[in-house]
Amino acid sequence: MHLQRISNLIDTIAPDKIEPRRMHPDRLRQFIWQGLLAAMLGIAGAAPVMAAPLQLPPLVDPASQEHHVGKVIFVELVTPDIAAAKQFYAGLFGWTFHDIQAGGTEYAEASLDGRPVAGLIHKAVPAGKPRQPAWLTFIAVGDVDAAKKAALQHGAKVLFEPHNVPVRGREAVFADPQGAVFAVLASTSGDPPDVLAAPGEWIWSSLITSDPDTDAAFYQTLFGYEVFDLPADEGAQHLMLASDNYARASVNSLPANKPNAHSHWLNFVRVTDADMMATKAVALGGRVLVAPQVDRHGGKVAVVADPLGAPFGLLEWSDTDNKEVSNGRPLIVKEVSK
Amino acid sequence: MNNLRIRWSAFAFVIGLCTVLSSGCVVGDGYGYGGGVDVGVDYYDPVGIDFGGWGPGYRVGPSRGSDRPAGRGGQHAYRAAPASRAMPSIPSHSAPSRSGGSRSR
Repeated sequence: MHLQRISNLIDTIAPDKIEPRRMHPDRLRQFIWQGLLAAMLGIAGAAPVMAAPLQLPPLVDPASQEHHVGKVIFVELVTPDIAAAKQFYAGLFGWTFHDIQAGGTEYAEASLDGRPVAGLIHKAVPAGKPRQPAWLTFIAVGDVDAAKKAALQHGAKVLFEPHNVPVRGREAVFADPQGAVFAVLASTSGDPPDVLAAPGEWIWSSLITSDPDTDAAFYQTLFGYEVFDLPADEGAQHLMLASDNYARASVNSLPANKPNAHSHWLNFVRVTDADMMATKAVALGGRVLVAPQVDRHGGKVAVVADPLGAPFGLLEWSDTDNKEVSNGRPLIVKEVSK
Repeated sequence: MNNLRIRWSAFAFVIGLCTVLSSGCVVGDGYGYGGGVDVGVDYYDPVGIDFGGWGPGYRVGPSRGSDRPAGRGGQHAYRAAPASRAMPSIPSHSAPSRSGGSRSR
């Protein structure tokens, strides 16, 4: 019945109206131009999406006017496998993650108890370029462009030109004169306050370098640090960088017995038991690079790598009575309130 | 004919859109903040480097605030803090509340 109706309908159409299926050349040309125009519109529509910069959350929320030039205010993991990294750090420190995507970029913000502690950014390792992931250290500055000028004048290389990150601030990435990679950030929401990190948060940073003397001078020029010379073994140099009357980082000679070592920044997460956390890191697929050992503050430090190979430190810090190491012997000292 | 034209235009639009979006997802090789700066691979460390080798006297941690500078003298590229100055420590007080704001340090 239905087919019959269709057949009747077709029969009513005159043959001359069915015939001109072949398009006139002018009309065909118009047709192609129209298609091209539509494709161009499609590309134009996609461009803003592609160019949309990644919008990261503010460093401090609500914003403050606090600024601490020279303080390590953020760290970011550059990794080829964000999913594996998330699993590892969630298991080790209890971090939770919030995914942010823009312009084809995969980014995850790590938080602990609702506070941002780190960023994870995906970066594929190009074929034929064997590299391993690393944590990038962001140091607070007031003026990123001035920092770039000073860095270049004193032997640094620019790896990523100064640029604005919406909401976050202005930043740039450099390699210092010995090749250690670090970033500077002028946060638009202010710098995090100077408070003691909770377990699971970043507490300390060390620069391990082939030339502590020159590097200390370089960072002093950029950030106005006070530099303290600490006791060290023969042939080694241990320095401390401070600003706002707080210790910000140590500068240490590269161990002499490691020919493949290279200058790098190393960031430490506060832990309550370095031995236990190192064991846990291994159980989660990581590796121990430096076994837990007692350090100058009386607690243990260790260096581990995540399953993708990014190294970071674990540092025990007690906020009650403190044991400090002097000539290898722990002392009990009273904590000095700031 | 008009229907065909609309369909053809829509098809071309979608193809254009998909081409650009998919190429962006696959090719994007910069650090990732947009701007097309291709420097990301420099952030990675070379493979096979050594991170260990810390002897028993190798100390990287912060001072508890009672250390004094070593005062070894000599010429340095940096300006050393006065020997009389006590070594600062890290902040010792906790954040007043745990809500809001970064506590990366």
